[in-house]
Amino acid sequence: MVKLTIDDQEIRVAEGTTVLTAAERLGIRIPTLCHHESLMPYGGCRLCVVEVLRNGRAEIAASCTYPVEEGLTIATNTGRVQKVRRLVLELLLSEAPDAQGIRDLAGEMGVTSPERLKKREDDLCILCGRCIRACREVVGANAIDYAQRGYQRTVAAPFYKSSADCIACGTCYAICPTGAVGMQEVEEGETARIPQGKEVEGPARIMVNWKVGLPMKRCKQCGDVIAPDFQLAYLQKKVGLAGDHFDTCPRCRE
Amino acid sequence: MNRLNNLEKLREEGMQSLFPAKTKILVGMATCGQAAGANEVWQVLQREAARKKIDVLVTKTGCIGMCQHEPLVDVIKPGYPRITYDRVTAEKAAQLLGGAAAGKFSKGMMARIDHEEFLLDDTSRRYHAGKLPAYLSSLSTYKRLPFYRKQQRIALRNCGYIDPENIAEYVAKGGYFSFARLLQGGAPEKVVSLVKKSRLRGRGGAGFPTGIKWEACRSAAGEEKYLICNADEGDPGAYMDRSILEGDPHSIIEGMLIGGFAVGARKGYIYVRAEYPLAIERLERALAQAREQGLLGDAVLASQFDFDIEINRGAGAFVCGEETALIQSIQGNWGEPKPRPPFPALSGLWGKPTVINNVETWANVPAIVAKGAKWFAGIGTDKSKGTKVFSLVGKVNNIGLVEVPMGITLKEIIYDIGGGVPKGRRFKAVQTGGPSGGCIPGELIDLPVDFDRLQKAGSIMGSGGMIVMDDRTCMVDVAKYFLSFLEDESCGKCVPCRVGIRRMRELLDDITAGRGRPGDADYLQHMAEVIKDGSLCGLGKTAPNPVLATLRYFRDEYEAHIREKRCPAGVCKSLITYAIDAERCTGCGACLRACPEGAVSGSKKKPHRIHIEKCIKCGACFEVCAFDAIVT
Repeated sequence: MVKLTIDDQEIRVAEGTTVLTAAERLGIRIPTLCHHESLMPYGGCRLCVVEVLRNGRAEIAASCTYPVEEGLTIATNTGRVQKVRRLVLELLLSEAPDAQGIRDLAGEMGVTSPERLKKREDDLCILCGRCIRACREVVGANAIDYAQRGYQRTVAAPFYKSSADCIACGTCYAICPTGAVGMQEVEEGETARIPQGKEVEGPARIMVNWKVGLPMKRCKQCGDVIAPDFQLAYLQKKVGLAGDHFDTCPRCRE
Repeated sequence: MNRLNNLEKLREEGMQSLFPAKTKILVGMATCGQAAGANEVWQVLQREAARKKIDVLVTKTGCIGMCQHEPLVDVIKPGYPRITYDRVTAEKAAQLLGGAAAGKFSKGMMARIDHEEFLLDDTSRRYHAGKLPAYLSSLSTYKRLPFYRKQQRIALRNCGYIDPENIAEYVAKGGYFSFARLLQGGAPEKVVSLVKKSRLRGRGGAGFPTGIKWEACRSAAGEEKYLICNADEGDPGAYMDRSILEGDPHSIIEGMLIGGFAVGARKGYIYVRAEYPLAIERLERALAQAREQGLLGDAVLASQFDFDIEINRGAGAFVCGEETALIQSIQGNWGEPKPRPPFPALSGLWGKPTVINNVETWANVPAIVAKGAKWFAGIGTDKSKGTKVFSLVGKVNNIGLVEVPMGITLKEIIYDIGGGVPKGRRFKAVQTGGPSGGCIPGELIDLPVDFDRLQKAGSIMGSGGMIVMDDRTCMVDVAKYFLSFLEDESCGKCVPCRVGIRRMRELLDDITAGRGRPGDADYLQHMAEVIKDGSLCGLGKTAPNPVLATLRYFRDEYEAHIREKRCPAGVCKSLITYAIDAERCTGCGACLRACPEGAVSGSKKKPHRIHIEKCIKCGACFEVCAFDAIVT
């Protein structure tokens, strides 16, 4: 166990815990964005920064990636910390002015869009990488990753083509904090076009950003839509279920 | 004893090569020399020697530092000092070859070298005995040249002196002996404490004490440890590390052998940028030679110590010079930095304790082991020991690679060594530390150069780029240039760096285009300070430095752009119109000839004028006017 002090409160936590987790245990709220409890720490958005006093020097560090150390002193809400968080939000508001998740966070902290900064209106993505990490760490499909670097960076399937590995499970859609991942359900009897691709017939699901459209599987008994074919096949293989396991929906299986 | 015997044999071989019985011609064949035409010179020398049946040795050497005088060719003729010819053309090469053969040196000599110095052995050997003929004795020696007088070469000790492709010459200069003696009963912990006592600080930029890094890695748990040589030099205008790799690759190998022995690592990586093909080629050759001599591989020099080195090529990302991104890159991942702690000394490559040092740092290690910590700590200032290599570029007369003791003043570097600013223009500022550094203004020219003083002045030592600027440099434009570079090179992982640098650069675009608004300078200052604080890695944490330093020292220039829509240096195209001052114009016609658009008219010896409607503001007239008659 390691003892440290956060905002004048002492706490003992297991080695390997992050400062963010330790603070949460004390009931201290630190705003986060790229962080997600199901994913590995990343440290990209810099919203969760805190002031770390170490060897007599105070430095700014992301609490989501900082491992606890014996005797650390942490301050989570100083003026210096606030300055970083506010600038991060101002920059993100200039990057994705229409992203509701960002506007909500900014509203909470009283940050408004800085009029002097140029705006990027065409994209909701703030490159927090939650979709990529979820696809890699939770789903295991590894369908998407970053492409390019710096300001040119985007999230894409390899070579910006239609992803060959996407199973249309929709985890990326669910975990995106800004609504930048597009997912379209195509109902029975309808058709829709995959971006830069062919037309698909419902029931199907289109993952707009990864240029994928996959058919949905129906329950053999009740006829309800269960999930995309590929997702079920992937799960069945990964978990080692019987070949006919997903022929029926969970309700009919019971 | 057998280990030293083999080296002794190599040393003899090397001495014969350094002081051959017949005439030897040395061509400076580093990238700088080749760019200036050394390849053609090399071919002419080979061809002419064969054609005229002149019995000479023609060999290569690295960069001796006088970039502006390349191609450089040296003649070593038994009984004479070593003679250097500069700016050698094909014609000049043929002449000097004939002269050398006939026993009378041809014209066009730049300087002579009387002694070959053996820094590691504390000796020197004279090239010639007896009196020199007048035409040679009147020639300046290197030591007396203003460019060299104040230099002290430790990291560059062999560059330009030995053939980097011949291990025997490196050994003849005392190389590999420090390491071989350590293997005979030296204690690794003593080496660590020696490096600590020398107070060597990392030459890659941040100046972290090398010995402390080594100690942390040595005492870290685990059997498997790694060394890395960071040769991902990427600052614009900086080429210190390239010159060492091309001119003395064995010094890096020996430094790493010593490091491996000290911290208990068995494997080292040299991460070198792919844009340095010659450095890679010479390193590969040096590694092969070292393996052949039993200096690398299993049971190094028949001892219990195993060590080998692998080259890893960078793929063109500036950020991979940042140590955690570099480690990711070696592992085959995105070149993306990771938060520290954990520091690489505890958890680095493949999660194992790793020492990562820069090229110049490694090159210093054999000298420290050979000559002792006291000697090294006796050079430099209170907290910055030893020497530092700088690439001195920009608006300075003697462009070149220089190595000077810490604590030397900027004035000594720029004026005494660099020969001052060309065309008698005013020295305005010097950028140290590359894009991550800052500019130091003319009024601080007496500033002694060391890690802490540069930092206090708002810049950093960085890896050693030194860009001199004259009064025709716009400091807002300079800040914009460096930010554009960093905007391209940011990996994009963290928001302050990826978006912040971009937004700052856009503001600077506005300011230099006359769209600046009151308050912009303050907003820039605020953004710069917070980005510095909040970014993830060293790139983002130092990226705002050029903005902060120019705001600190040249805020009036920002205000002139913002409030008066005026660029005082006459650089920002949107804010200037060129005109001719009739009183100063002598009617020489230089501007008229230089103008690509025919926008200048006038008759001989009468004041000329510029037709604004045709002018594209290229600045060609401004550059060529010798009378400062073109005004903005």
